[in-house]
Amino acid sequence: MLGKCFGIISCVSIIYSFFVNTTSEISTAILAGASKSVTITLSLLGSMAFWNGILNVLKDCGIIKKLSNILKPILKLVFPNAFKNDIAIEEITACISANFLGISNAATPLALSAMKKLNESNNFSDRANPDMIMLVILGCSCFNLLPSTVLGIRNAFNAQITYQLIIPIWICSGTCMILGILLCRILGKLYDKN
Amino acid sequence: MTKIEYFSSFILPCVIFLAGIIFLFPKKDYFSSFIYGAKEGIKSGWSLLPTMCALTVSISIFSASGLSDFLSKILNPVSDFLHIPSEIFPFILTKPLSGGASVATYEGIIDTYGADSFVALCASVIMASSDTIFYVLSVYFSESRIKKTYYALPCAVFVFLFCVIFSCILCDLFF
Repeated sequence: MLGKCFGIISCVSIIYSFFVNTTSEISTAILAGASKSVTITLSLLGSMAFWNGILNVLKDCGIIKKLSNILKPILKLVFPNAFKNDIAIEEITACISANFLGISNAATPLALSAMKKLNESNNFSDRANPDMIMLVILGCSCFNLLPSTVLGIRNAFNAQITYQLIIPIWICSGTCMILGILLCRILGKLYDKN
Repeated sequence: MTKIEYFSSFILPCVIFLAGIIFLFPKKDYFSSFIYGAKEGIKSGWSLLPTMCALTVSISIFSASGLSDFLSKILNPVSDFLHIPSEIFPFILTKPLSGGASVATYEGIIDTYGADSFVALCASVIMASSDTIFYVLSVYFSESRIKKTYYALPCAVFVFLFCVIFSCILCDLFF
């Protein structure tokens, strides 16, 4: 997959450069690109280590559980079937709380075990039910409380605008999440009818 | 606007203040869980490097050859229609596919146009607000052996496209 990405982008660019005579620029870019990736990653490691550490502290002192309790009444409206039949409620709420905080290495295993339980109630069929699709959509576009990676990258490039981006990110990710939920519910209703 | 900026400046300190409080009143040693998390962070950053290395080279070739400028020019009518900057296309094409590739194209945009340029700001909001949808879909569904996914993919793609357009509108309003 990524090999194809690399192949297509590089080959097409190099063929194009033969026509517009930019091969000398490409030679410099190849040499500079590889070393640039190391300098960027190194300058990013500090912020990745720090924020991952902070998030792990929050996780260990039970913030996911507290957030889950707050979110539970709201999620009842989003996953009506799962809550009615009491399937995988703990996993779903914990997964979405972890997604809110951006702790993706905690969110993915929770989501996978929730998917498994939802599939069990589905008699292990190969068809997705509306609750499963809702969980996937929330995994794709979830509210982002702490965009630490993006801010870290921006800081590595000496950006002037860093923390000021948090509010637009909250608005954008929140709106996308609400849109995803509404779309899922509407399409789920149509699916139930058929 | 300055009020929002003032409020924004409180967010990160508040999180660290909270973490500091947790460190001060321990029932158990929370600093070791910080160390554990930090190690994991370094590991995941480090494991990103080989992918980044390959993709940063190919993105550098892409912009040095002049092909990226050429494509932006071709796609200008489309981007004008959607009110998004055309330089952002390589990024929004890789974002749904892979985390490593999207970081590489994101950094490519920052590197070429500057971190505080309009394109880079839009890319930052998209980067934080959406996820690698094709990856998430394949992992979630393949793990539970689902084959018929119905409206999941169209729904995810629609939300992603909305995210792209909406983030550009927001950046226009805020900066």
